[in-house]
Amino acid sequence: MRYWFAQLDSILRGQATHPSRLQQGELNIQADGLLVMLTALGMSYGFCMSWYAVLRDDPQYMQVVASMIKVPLLFFLTLAVTFPSLYVFNALIGSRLSFSSMLQLLVGSQAVLLAVLASFGPIVAFFSVTSTSYFFILLLNVAVCGLAGSLGIRFLLQTLHRLTDALYVPIVLAAPEPAEAAPPDSAVHAAAPGPLTRIGRPESRERVRVVFYVWVATFAVVGGQMAWVLRPFIGNPNAPFTWFRPRQSNFLEAVVESVRRLFQP
Amino acid sequence: MIVALRSLDVGLRRALGGSALPTGELFGCIAAGGFFYGVIMGSFGAGFDERLLLALFSGVKVPMLLLVCFLMTLPIFLVLNSLLGLRSDLPDVVRAVLAGQAALAIVLAALAPYTVLWYASSADYAAAQLFNFAMFIIASGAGQAVLRHHYRPLVARDPRHRQLMWAWLLLYSFVAVQMAWVLRPFIGDPSSAVQFFRNEPLSDNAYMVIIRLIGQEMN
Repeated sequence: MRYWFAQLDSILRGQATHPSRLQQGELNIQADGLLVMLTALGMSYGFCMSWYAVLRDDPQYMQVVASMIKVPLLFFLTLAVTFPSLYVFNALIGSRLSFSSMLQLLVGSQAVLLAVLASFGPIVAFFSVTSTSYFFILLLNVAVCGLAGSLGIRFLLQTLHRLTDALYVPIVLAAPEPAEAAPPDSAVHAAAPGPLTRIGRPESRERVRVVFYVWVATFAVVGGQMAWVLRPFIGNPNAPFTWFRPRQSNFLEAVVESVRRLFQP
Repeated sequence: MIVALRSLDVGLRRALGGSALPTGELFGCIAAGGFFYGVIMGSFGAGFDERLLLALFSGVKVPMLLLVCFLMTLPIFLVLNSLLGLRSDLPDVVRAVLAGQAALAIVLAALAPYTVLWYASSADYAAAQLFNFAMFIIASGAGQAVLRHHYRPLVARDPRHRQLMWAWLLLYSFVAVQMAWVLRPFIGDPSSAVQFFRNEPLSDNAYMVIIRLIGQEMN
């Protein structure tokens, strides 16, 4: 358990994806234990977001159970849907990243996403408990998920760039300036890029850019639509609890409608 | 007595401008300053009657507002600091944020006599609300200035700290506005009963109230 937590921590701090660790073109993330942590993080966010359904005149306690199951499910299903295309497109552009590296990369980015999401949990729970406006809560959750998703994607792209650099061009990383020769502060921070910091050679990054921005857009759309398919997560106060709602409309329409309804009296 | 005053002076100067105090003392400043201003704030229209209870409630609520908002924003703040590679500066960052809040509480406590004078001069509830709001704005300004002072060496080490400082301020304000709305009443309409929370059916959150007010004004 502590080991899994340490794994998550090393991903968040950028140690797991530090350029020196990626020189072999392989990631070293133990996916299985991390998956348990990710499920726990997803469940905690599901718990927090479901409070809107509990503190009202007609409490829907089943929504708590439903959301705690659905949030991890959402992320694993999105991963399952988008992984094959990422692997194939990556192979098409000539990358030599292995199947397991690609999987570890995606699990790592999910780790970042779910860590950010879970850490917003207390704030979302607080607003869920103290608000009556369904559309406000909906938009708050969308904003939080959007922020978490964008940070997860940035992690994915930066790690991919670093892995691609390691594979395409043998990089001899300049050793960090010895502490005596340079001001200590700059040496410490030059050698400690976060997992989202841009490093690497522009020309090799150019090669992967188009494919991955397309894939990023795909991930965003698939994630949003998957969330719509798995709804309800929060529970419209005017509708009884169900595990799933009938198929209609789509995620983008729903967000636009929520913004419109927010400003209606 | 002189020694006590002198050490208070040293402590306040350090809290407001110098190197940050130890974390425990910062929490103490937030609790003490917040409590003092809260009691003064809640004493609006109070004689030696049950309205003094409201003063006590407000004395509890002001530090509660500051500390609960801090605890709620802490997880995401820590995660974002890690993601931006600023993990090694974490103790300094947390102390900077606490120092900002401690400064807010201390300045509030220093402004309390003005609130007393205002309450002695006017029995108008709406004016009292606005005056207290102004005191909070002034104290927040001071808190922000102290936060930026403590962040200056951090930003000099790594400019990414500046982004996180503003992100934290934004997030904290977002949560604090709602928290202040939820914890009301702080001053207490003299025509209403003395309560810890308003027992009316759950009204919407602060932002929806503002949006609706703006909507009504525009229609």
